Amino acid sequence: MTQDVEMKEQPAPSNSVTSVGPSTLQHLKEIASLIETGAYAREVRRIVRVVRLTIALRKKLKASVLSAFLNYALVSGSEVHSRLSSYLPKEDEQDMEVDTATSTTQAPVKHPLPELEIYCYLLVLIFLIDQKRYNEAKACSSASIARLKNLNRRTIDVLAARLYFYYSLSYELTGDLAEIRGNLLSLHRIATLRHDELGQETLLNLLLRNYLHYNLFDQAEKLRSKAPRFEAHSNQQFCRYLFYLGKIRTIQLEYTDAKESLLQAARKAPAAALGFRVQCNKWAVIVRLLLGEIPERTVFMQKGMEKALRPYFELTNAVRIGDLELFKAVAEKFSGTFSSDGTHNLIVRLRHNVIRTGLRNISISYSRISLADVAKKLRLDSPNPIADAESIVAKAIRDGAIDATLDHAKGWMVSKETGDIYSTNEPQIAFNSRIAFCLNMHNEAVRALRFPPNSHKEKESAEKRRERQQQEQELAKHIAEEDDDEF
Amino acid sequence: MDPNFTEVSQLFERFKAAFMRNDFDTCDNLLSQLKVLLTKFRSLPPLFEETPKANHELTLARDIYEHAVVLSVKIEDQDAFERDFFQLKPYYTDACGRLPPSPQEYPILGLNLLRLLVQNRIAEFHTELELLSATALENPCIKHAVELEQSFMEGAYNRVLSARQTVPHETYVYFMDLLAKTVRDEISGCSEKAYDSLSINDARKILMFSSDQELFEYIKEEHPEWEIKNGFVIFQRAKESAPCKEIPSLQLINQTLSYARELERIV
Repeated sequence: MTQDVEMKEQPAPSNSVTSVGPSTLQHLKEIASLIETGAYAREVRRIVRVVRLTIALRKKLKASVLSAFLNYALVSGSEVHSRLSSYLPKEDEQDMEVDTATSTTQAPVKHPLPELEIYCYLLVLIFLIDQKRYNEAKACSSASIARLKNLNRRTIDVLAARLYFYYSLSYELTGDLAEIRGNLLSLHRIATLRHDELGQETLLNLLLRNYLHYNLFDQAEKLRSKAPRFEAHSNQQFCRYLFYLGKIRTIQLEYTDAKESLLQAARKAPAAALGFRVQCNKWAVIVRLLLGEIPERTVFMQKGMEKALRPYFELTNAVRIGDLELFKAVAEKFSGTFSSDGTHNLIVRLRHNVIRTGLRNISISYSRISLADVAKKLRLDSPNPIADAESIVAKAIRDGAIDATLDHAKGWMVSKETGDIYSTNEPQIAFNSRIAFCLNMHNEAVRALRFPPNSHKEKESAEKRRERQQQEQELAKHIAEEDDDEF
Repeated sequence: MDPNFTEVSQLFERFKAAFMRNDFDTCDNLLSQLKVLLTKFRSLPPLFEETPKANHELTLARDIYEHAVVLSVKIEDQDAFERDFFQLKPYYTDACGRLPPSPQEYPILGLNLLRLLVQNRIAEFHTELELLSATALENPCIKHAVELEQSFMEGAYNRVLSARQTVPHETYVYFMDLLAKTVRDEISGCSEKAYDSLSINDARKILMFSSDQELFEYIKEEHPEWEIKNGFVIFQRAKESAPCKEIPSLQLINQTLSYARELERIV
């Protein structure tokens, strides 16, 4: 379950020793100055960039580099400094002192910005998690959360959102997720009061994850349906939200909606987040089976997923054929995988679909068949197979799965001739609804074009407009360049 | 000794005595008094405060609510069952680390599943099911409810009915009887679609009536559109989509005109 949502998680830091020490520190210092300018100019965009740059540096973080950076960024001897330093391993003492000597000579910051302080927390926390020192990570994250509660600055929100995430992660890795539920709820409340939408988004996902970890679908749904929703700020958070939503809906038998959310989550997830996409696909496959659809073969052949989706492929095959014995064999064979995926109960539900498919096949191939033969073909193992078969067929007829009638006295099922559909009005109605759909889509597109989001602004003079357009162009160029830099 | 605790335990003893005598009015009375008294304990959910006698109090409260649930089944009050069950639930989910598991836990959880099934709240049924561990699912009480749901979904109704003979706990009988009614409605709905007609004899057997008279009454009340003729029950089938003889011209003209209008807007 960990790998699925850990989108940004990269494989454990490699131990390859490359001489990155000074350059990493240099990078960190650049980041620090970026934070400073961002904080003074109140530009959230810069802070977002900081987070992105940090993730790129993640593999190169070392204790020595970190402590040097702490000395650079924080006032040595201050409470934060001593606390954060205490989390770092001691064996690098030697190294550290050298760095301290050099860094103190460089212009030290007199009053560290809260942004910088929070950033230091984040950096140390990431380092601790990568080093698998989860207990220290827990302590560090709790301290940072306590500090965050007293800070109310928009420029911190971005960093705070990341901190929340690692806070929850560190507790999840030690298996104490239930402990922080109350804390997360109060953080969510604070974020809502401060209109920190990114924080709300992140915390809502963390809470959902927290509930779902303990299979508390009821609570999760209640929270989800009552929490404020707005346009997503971060694609990753949105994907996660969709995934959790899909899971909740699957459990509550709203398969059509569940399928939509799960497929959307799988599609929107970044290509690098393989684990997450595999998880989405697993659930989506089951939901589609429960809906009576058979997923295409290409779903199971996606790059890097063949192996993980193998059990689900075999399951799909069993459902497609409608063979109850084969279905049971597959469910048994992969029961370990299914229960670790948390899909075991869903697969139990599938049994019903297997019977339906089998019945449909029978009804297509025979125009008249005795119920005893139906029971034999479906391989119903029950004390009274004929009576079972009769009521199962009756229910299938009522639900519209097959078109047939039963004759109780003679004990057989008569399939109806499939009538010529083109002799009815059916095709015309279907055609009409499709045309209406297309026309409607076109109209909606036109409507969306005509009213851009800022059309409510007051009219501007021609000159002003020219000026504004020029500015916008420059800005666009600027952004484009920046994007090129980052990738 | 805490006076509150003594009072509650004494009252509970009286409750149990009345419960054994099947004196449900007294039970109901005592129960509401007990519930009020329980609010004085600070160790109970949702506070879960650490008091010196927390474990005793929790155990006692759990015991009281378990009895309350069983009582509600005996007086056949589904709303009371739901209320009491929700009050009991935190003792199973949130206090499980501090108390030894109760022997009543699985029968009561199974009972709740059965209730959801009877009330046709399948989504909640599955939500509850997800909370149960693999060992819980193996328990006969839970398994019983889960298998019932499966048979119910498949349409193997006689399996549902035969399950009444194998109830794992005496309190289950009440819900099983309710379930039988639900099943009968389902069967009549299915038969209506699946058969053209049934002999009265067969219809009686399929719908599980002991006499023809009961069958006739049922038909009169629930399905007045069924016809009884020459010893057969004839179901009125819904009109099939008959082949279309003539073109629905007016409708077609309207549609075509609207397409023309829309197309004009596009070009």
